[in-house]
Amino acid sequence: MAQTIAKNLPTVETDTKYDVELHNVFKVYNGETAVRGIDLGIRQGEFFSILGPSGCGKTTTLRLIAGFEEPSAGEVLVRGKSMVGVPPYRRPVNTVFQSYALFGHLTVWDNIAFGLRIKQKSKSDIQRLVGEALHLVKMDSFARRYPAQLSGGQQQRIALARALVNQPTVVLLDEPLGALDLKLRKEMQVELSTLHKELGVTFVMVTHDQEEALSLSDRIAVMNEGRVEQIGTPSEIYDFPKTPFVADFIGETNLFEGYVESVDAGLMKVTTQQGLSILVKPTAACNGSTSDPVVVSVRPEKIQVTLDAPGSRINCFEGRLIHTMFLGTHVHYVVQLLSGDRVTVMQPSHVNGSVSAEAPLYIHWAATDGLPLFTQPPSH
Amino acid sequence: MATSAPLPPVPGAHSSTDTVAAKLKRKLVSLIQPTVLLGPAGIWLFLLLVVPTLMILELSLIPGFRPGEPAGAYGLGNYTKIFELIDGQPIYLWVIARSVLFSVGSMLICLFLGFPVAYWIAIMAPKRWQNLLLVSFVLPLWTSSLLRSYAWITILRPTGVLNSLLGVFNLPPVDILNTQTAVMIGLAYNYLPYMVLILYSSLEKLDQRLLEAASDLGATPQQGFWKVTVPQTLPGIAAGCLLVFITNLGDFVVPELLGGASSMTMARLVYNQFLGATRNWGFGSGLSMVLILGVSIAIALLLKYGDQKAEDF
Amino acid sequence: MPPVHPSDSRFSGRSPRLSASRRRFLQLSGAALSGAVLTNCARNIGSGSTDASPASPASSSGGGDNTLHVYSWSAYIDDDLLKSFEQETGIKVVADIYDSNETMLAKIQAGGGKQYSIIYPSDYMVGQMAELNLLSPIDKERVPGYSDLLAQWKSPSYDVDNKDSIPYAWGTTGLVYNTEVLTKPVTDWSYLWDNKKQLSGKMTLLNDVREVMGFTLKSLGFSNSSKDPKQIEAAYKKLAQLKPAISSFTTDGWRDQIVVGDLLLSHAYSVDGIDAMASNPKLQYVIPSSGATVWTDTIVIPKAAPNVDAAYKWIAYTINPETAATVLARLKFATPNRKTLELLPKELRENPALIPPDAVLKKCEVLANVDTATDLYDRYWTQLTSG
Repeated sequence: MAQTIAKNLPTVETDTKYDVELHNVFKVYNGETAVRGIDLGIRQGEFFSILGPSGCGKTTTLRLIAGFEEPSAGEVLVRGKSMVGVPPYRRPVNTVFQSYALFGHLTVWDNIAFGLRIKQKSKSDIQRLVGEALHLVKMDSFARRYPAQLSGGQQQRIALARALVNQPTVVLLDEPLGALDLKLRKEMQVELSTLHKELGVTFVMVTHDQEEALSLSDRIAVMNEGRVEQIGTPSEIYDFPKTPFVADFIGETNLFEGYVESVDAGLMKVTTQQGLSILVKPTAACNGSTSDPVVVSVRPEKIQVTLDAPGSRINCFEGRLIHTMFLGTHVHYVVQLLSGDRVTVMQPSHVNGSVSAEAPLYIHWAATDGLPLFTQPPSH
Repeated sequence: MATSAPLPPVPGAHSSTDTVAAKLKRKLVSLIQPTVLLGPAGIWLFLLLVVPTLMILELSLIPGFRPGEPAGAYGLGNYTKIFELIDGQPIYLWVIARSVLFSVGSMLICLFLGFPVAYWIAIMAPKRWQNLLLVSFVLPLWTSSLLRSYAWITILRPTGVLNSLLGVFNLPPVDILNTQTAVMIGLAYNYLPYMVLILYSSLEKLDQRLLEAASDLGATPQQGFWKVTVPQTLPGIAAGCLLVFITNLGDFVVPELLGGASSMTMARLVYNQFLGATRNWGFGSGLSMVLILGVSIAIALLLKYGDQKAEDF
Repeated sequence: MPPVHPSDSRFSGRSPRLSASRRRFLQLSGAALSGAVLTNCARNIGSGSTDASPASPASSSGGGDNTLHVYSWSAYIDDDLLKSFEQETGIKVVADIYDSNETMLAKIQAGGGKQYSIIYPSDYMVGQMAELNLLSPIDKERVPGYSDLLAQWKSPSYDVDNKDSIPYAWGTTGLVYNTEVLTKPVTDWSYLWDNKKQLSGKMTLLNDVREVMGFTLKSLGFSNSSKDPKQIEAAYKKLAQLKPAISSFTTDGWRDQIVVGDLLLSHAYSVDGIDAMASNPKLQYVIPSSGATVWTDTIVIPKAAPNVDAAYKWIAYTINPETAATVLARLKFATPNRKTLELLPKELRENPALIPPDAVLKKCEVLANVDTATDLYDRYWTQLTSG
C-alpha cells in the first residue's frame, strides 16, 4: 500500500481508470437513510466535487470513501480494490477535515509529520518530506508554532500539508474552505487549484458552495436527498441540468411547471398551471408527448425586458416590475406577470437604464433558451 | 452677583470636565470592580487560609512549643527534628516516605482503574446514560469514607468476603489486611470516584474528529489512543492524579484501619502532635509546613505543566 | 487507690474509650478529616427541648438562671436525662459534645467555651486544667451523697481530696481474648510475649502511646507513667520484640474481627471489651494481674462558669444513685459511688471484668502526666508504628 502511495505522486495518468468507485452504495443511520444508492466513478487525477445542500448526504459519501463509515449496502473501491472491511488507517486516502482537526498538543511540524512517523519513515525522509510539504503550502516559517497560534487560513494550509505529505492516492476535502471569509476563500480556491495541477493527485471535495464547485472542479456530482442527481462538467451541469433540482440549485433559474399541450414543428407547447403557454425545444432527455408533466427552466440572463410589446409573440408576457437590484455589471429585476408568476430577469446594466415601477413591460425569450425537464428524478 | 451666580456653562470647558470626570469614573470603576468581585472570597481566604497558615508557620519556628506553656525562642528545631535519627534510623523521613508511597500507589491504582471507566462513560456509553452512569459511580461518596474503610476490613480480613470468594473457586486465601497493599486499595477505593469525575470531564471534551484524523493518517486505534487521546487529556490526568495524591496524603483513617502495625503516616503524625499524647504543637506545625510546601510544589508543577499544554487548545 | 503519681498537669492523651467508642471514633475521624478538629462542637443534643437561641453563649455568660450549658462526652448525655432534669429543676440544658480531652481543652483555651458551667474531663485532664487555672473548687457541701464515694475515689491521685472534680464513672484497660482458641486463661501481660507465635497476626493493641507503653512498663514492674528514660527505653525494646506479631494498633477496628474469630486477642478498654463479650460469649475481658490502667471521668465546674447554681443542681441530679445507675448500667461503666453500685444490676455489679476485686484494683494505676518525657514516649511510638 505504501508503495502505491509513493508511486502515485509523480504519475499523472490520463486514462479513464477510476481512482474511486461507488457501486450502488446505501448508508442507513438509526433508521434514517442518508445515502440512497450512489454510483460514482472518480477518475485518476481529476478534481471532483460533490455538491449539494446541507443534509443531502455528501459528507456521508466522503466519510464512506475515507472509511469512517461502512456502507449499509453496496461497495466502495479505491484503485479497483474493494474497501469493504478496510479501516481508515489502511486506506490510501487522506482527508482535510472541515474544522481542520489539527492536533492541539503538537506543533505544526509534528502535525505534518504525524502520518510519516506512524508509517515509521526514516528521520531523514520525514525531515525532507515535512519540509517540502510546508514549502508547498507556504508555511515554512511556522513549523514551531502550535495550531492555536495560527489563523484559520494558516490552519487550513497545515491541514492540507498534513494530508498531502502522505502522498495519498486520493485527497478528500470536506468543505475545506467553509470556515474562511470570502476574500481568503477566493485566494485559497486559486491555491487549491494550483496545488491540484502541480501534484496531479485526485481531489474529492465536498462543498455546498456551487460557485466554488463550478470554478474548481473538473467534474461535479450534484446530490439531493441522498441521491446523485447529475454528474458532469461544470458547463454541462450549468447549461444542461437534467432535473429541476439541479437547474435550481446551480445558478439561478425560473421554473415553470406544467404539462405538454402539443408537439409541433420540433417545438413543445407547454401550458403552465397559471395558464401561460410556453414554447420550448425538446431535448434528447426530455422529448415528452402530450400531457406529460414537465418543468421549463429559463435562466434569468436569457430573458429580455422591453417596454414596448416586441414583434415576436413567442414566449412573450406582459408584467409589472416589482423589484430592482443593481449589481454593478448587471441589474436584477423581479417581474410579476399578469398570470401572477414572478420571474427573475438579469440584464447588463447599460440596457434599459430606467424601467419605471408603474409602466407595463414585456419579457420574452427564444424557444431555444428554455430547457424542458421531467419532474421526476431520473431512475437508476 | 457674577461670583455668587452659577457660571453659565462654557461649551468647550464643560465637555472637557465631563470627559475628565468620565475618565475618573471609569478609573474608579476599574479599581472598585475587582475589589467588589474578589473581596468576599479574598477576605474568606485571608482569614481562613492565609492567617492560619501564618500562625502555623510561626508555631513551627518555636521549637517544642506546647499550648499553655511559655513559648521559647525562635529557632529551626522543629524542622531539624524531622531529620533526627532514632536508633540510627531517620524515622520521620521514613514516615514521610511511607505517606508518599501510599499516596502514589493509590493514585496509580485510581488512574489505571479510573481511566477505562471514564473513557467508557465519556466516549463509548450511550449519551443519554452518561449522567446516570456517572451518578451511580459517584454514589459511594454518599456514605462516610470511614464506613467504607470499615467495609474493607470485612472484605479483606482472613475469613472475610474476599477469601470466601477465593474459596469458592478453590483458590488459596490471601492475607492482605494490615499490609501496605490494603492501604492502597482502601485509599484508591475512596478516591476513585473523584478520579473518574475529573477524567470524564476531560475525556468528554475530547474532540472525536482528532481520533478520526489520526486514523486517517494511518494510526491504528491503539496508536490513536496513545498519540492523541492521552496527550489531549493529559491536563485532566495530571489534575486527577494531583487531587488524589494530595487528598491521600492527608488521609490517616485508612492507613490506620487497614495498614497494620507499621502504618504511621505523616497525617497521623501531625495529628498525634496536635491532639495526641505529646501535644508538641511546634513539631506538628513544622511537619504541617513541610506537608504544605510539598503539596504547593506539586500544584505549582501542575500549573506550569498544565498551562503549557492548555494554551494549545 | 494504688500507687499515687502526682498527676498535676500535662496529658497522657488517651484515645476515646467510652462504650459508644465506635460512634465517637467515627465522629473523631470525620471531624479530623473535615479539618474541624480544633473547633469541634459536634452537635447540640436535646435542642428540641431546649431553645438555645435566646441564650446564646455570649448572652448566657451573664448567667441566665434558666439555661445550663454542658460540655460532655456523647455517652453521658441523652434526651431522657435532659428532659427529666428540666422537668425537675426548670433549667434548660444545652449540651455540646466532644470526642477527646484535647479537643475539649483546645476549645476552652481558645476561648470558645465560656458558656459552659459543666464539663466532663478525664482524670489526667482534671490535673491539667487545674494547673492552667481553669477550674473552680467544688463545694462538697453542695454535693449530696459525696460521702458515699468508694474509698479509692475519696482522694484520687489526679485530684487530691477531689478538690476540683467529682468522679462520675470509671473503667480499666485490659485484654479481651477468645477463650475457645486460647484455652489456657490469660492472666497477665506476659502472656503476649510468651505466646507470641500463636498470637502472631491475630493480636491488636490500642492505638495509644501511653496505654501501650504503660502496660509494657507494668509488665516490667515499673509504673505505667514512668519518666525514667532507661525504663522507657526498656519498655520500647520489649515492645519491639512483640511488634512483628502485632496485627495492628487500633482503638476500634478490632471489634468485628475478634467477634468473628479472625483475631484472638485485643488490648481494649473495659467498656468495649465487655460489649464484645455480649456479642460473642466465647470472648473474655480480663484485667491482667500485674495491674492495668484505671481511668476516671469526672464532672468539673470551670472557673468561668456563668451559672454555678445550675451546675450544682446538675451534679446533684446526675450523681444521684438512681439516675447514675440507669445511665451507667446502659453504658457498662463502673461507678465510684457505693450507693450507685448497689443499684446496678447484679450481673454488672458482680462482674469482675467491670469491677475487679480489690486485690487487682490495688495494682491498677492512673496514667499520670509524664512531663517532658512525653517527647520520648512519642518518639519511641513513632518508631514503633513506622518501623
